[in-house]
Amino acid sequence: VKGRMARALVRVYAMAAKEARHILRDPRTLYMSLGMPVLLLFLFGYGVAFDIDRIPLAVVDQDRTASSRQLVRALTASRELVDAGELADPAAALGAFRQGRASAALVVEEGYERTVLAREVVPVQLLVDGADALVANQLLAKAEALVRAESQRLARAEVGARTPPVQVKVWTRYNPEGRSAFYMVPGLAAYLLAITAVLLTALTIAGEWERGSMEQLFASPIGRLEIVLGKLLPYLALGLLEFLLVVAFGMTAFDLPMRGSAIALALLGLVFLVGMLGQGLLVSVLAKNQTVATQAGVMSSLLPSLLLSGMIFPIENMPLPLRQLSRVIPARYLVHGLRGVLLKGNALDVLWPDLLALSIFAVVVIGLATARFQRRLA
Amino acid sequence: VTAPVRPSARVQLAAVFRKEVQQTVRDRRVMFMLVVAPLIQTVVFGFAVDYEVDRVATVVVDPDRSATSREDARRLLADGTLRAAGEARSADAASVAIDEGEASAALVFERRAEADRLSRRGQEVQVLLDGTDPNRTTVTSGAVSRFFAELGERLARERLAAEARAPAQLRPVPRVAFNPGLETAPYMVPGIAAMLLVIVTTFTSAMGLAREREMGTLEQVLVTPIRPLLLLVGKMAPFVVIGLVVVTLLVGVGTWIFAVPIRGSLGLLYLGTILYLLTTLGAGLLISTMSANQQQAFLGGFLFTIPAVLLSGLMTPILAMPGWLRPLTLVNPIRWYAEIMRGILLRGAGLADLWLQLLVLLVIGLAIVAAATLRFHRRLG
Repeated sequence: VKGRMARALVRVYAMAAKEARHILRDPRTLYMSLGMPVLLLFLFGYGVAFDIDRIPLAVVDQDRTASSRQLVRALTASRELVDAGELADPAAALGAFRQGRASAALVVEEGYERTVLAREVVPVQLLVDGADALVANQLLAKAEALVRAESQRLARAEVGARTPPVQVKVWTRYNPEGRSAFYMVPGLAAYLLAITAVLLTALTIAGEWERGSMEQLFASPIGRLEIVLGKLLPYLALGLLEFLLVVAFGMTAFDLPMRGSAIALALLGLVFLVGMLGQGLLVSVLAKNQTVATQAGVMSSLLPSLLLSGMIFPIENMPLPLRQLSRVIPARYLVHGLRGVLLKGNALDVLWPDLLALSIFAVVVIGLATARFQRRLA
Repeated sequence: VTAPVRPSARVQLAAVFRKEVQQTVRDRRVMFMLVVAPLIQTVVFGFAVDYEVDRVATVVVDPDRSATSREDARRLLADGTLRAAGEARSADAASVAIDEGEASAALVFERRAEADRLSRRGQEVQVLLDGTDPNRTTVTSGAVSRFFAELGERLARERLAAEARAPAQLRPVPRVAFNPGLETAPYMVPGIAAMLLVIVTTFTSAMGLAREREMGTLEQVLVTPIRPLLLLVGKMAPFVVIGLVVVTLLVGVGTWIFAVPIRGSLGLLYLGTILYLLTTLGAGLLISTMSANQQQAFLGGFLFTIPAVLLSGLMTPILAMPGWLRPLTLVNPIRWYAEIMRGILLRGAGLADLWLQLLVLLVIGLAIVAAATLRFHRRLG
């Protein structure tokens, strides 16, 4: 038995050495797979963000008094909203939204100053372009806070400063400055790893079929599982290198903290890579040619990992069937694990379910790839 | 000996067109990937994309257990943004619940909440938030702040009214145009359609030419009298037709399932789609002229589509990008097409509003196709 194991290991090693030579012989692919994720992480770390400021606010001032001008200044003086020009009437605001010149319009009705001086409750109209709900929600939160601040300033001017009866203090943990990069960079790192892993392996077996070299492999004594493992190992080494590179780069370029357990992070990364590389191999085994393998590889990694992993869109918002579907997307667990370790200081005592799920995925995918391989031999 | 007569451009184009159509339609799986897969993905992802912050799990720490603190917690948790996720004994216990992901927010009252409110120094309520997701943080803290600010204003006003000196109070009255429910799907589904179109068409055209080169059939085509530009145009044409069919289906699914409105002209949408496909198919051709085999074309396709999708304003607003990165979106066809689609469908924008976007797409498309043709010529020489 010992001798058989040893011979199997030799065959896996031979396969891996052959595949490694393939990789090294094509330096363009090698540089792309190592350099691309780092470059993209840099661009996306800055570019994929939610914290909006300088939202263009158009102004319809029908009052044209000192008070109304003061209100406009109060809203647009901050960095959060900027003055996007005057409009004649509220109807013109829709035109400005259509042309993308403004995301909202402040409408100060005639008689504003009079009502303020009469010490009444004054409605302040905010016309919002709701098409983009994300911008609209943040804009509403910011504009309403600014209007309330102006209201308090007016009150102080009239009745003097008083301690309000209720005050709220908000403590934001993990990411007190609300930096998008803290949230997005772990997600992006997981995403970029997911797609490079699949695309590294998606074409390798399909390519052997297409070039006819698969028959030659079958003529040799190597077994199916040994082919799969031999194909996997060199890419796993490459993937681990890339994982280190991406995490290290993300931490230095975006000042990400590392509050939790590095061992948990390493384990999650390793098992995740085995699973994603296995998924690429499975696609490659199932597809007859490289064209189909490409499309299937793209469809099974590019979008699901982007949209169902919780990287951008929160999983808890999804309807139940999709929440269940997201459980078979490995990126989901790495996104959660990376955020947990880096930002929240988690270790394996909290993250073990993620590690378990990733392990199950890896075993199932590699098992499937081997099993499907067998059927094509006949 | 007379030189052989080159067939007319129309004949050349028709020949390539026919061959491409046959090759594409013949393989059922390719057709499935091109037409059915995007449809399924639109439905699935249409349900998945939802930024709306609601039902944030909140634990309550209420050592006061007074009528006012209970009433405040009940009303705050009932307004939709937050939902109750149980009680915690202390602020520390609440932090642990946040660390372990059982809750995302904690509402902490002080021991003498009710008494403080009536006293001169006022009541202080603390809110702990899991700040990992900045969008959720902004909206949650906005909702909590608004609730207590309104409460404080009302109480202060009542007291001052008792002394007959209540000041003016500004009350924000939001009116939301085009999407009153502030739902994510009507905005995101057109974006997903734009994304699926670029993925399907760029990869197909990049792989198509690379495959011919790898199999050696490209050389056979090149010894025929066809002109390179016509060859490229003929290769793109069937996919423009497929793209238009796919757009029609996706918009149909969008209106039918996700209540995406169609407020503008569909003709303008098709015009925009044709210009967009010119850029995406052209990009695929350009990638294939730069790659030696299918694997490189595949990588090149990724290298183009992923940044183009993520830096287009499609998923996250362009407003949130830093100033130095925004100019990059000017040459990104997805940015312009997303503006066209969302403008036409949601805001009812017309040619007068969108001429710039259409013009930019045309310029980008012509530039890409010209670059692809030039490179193609050079590789032949």
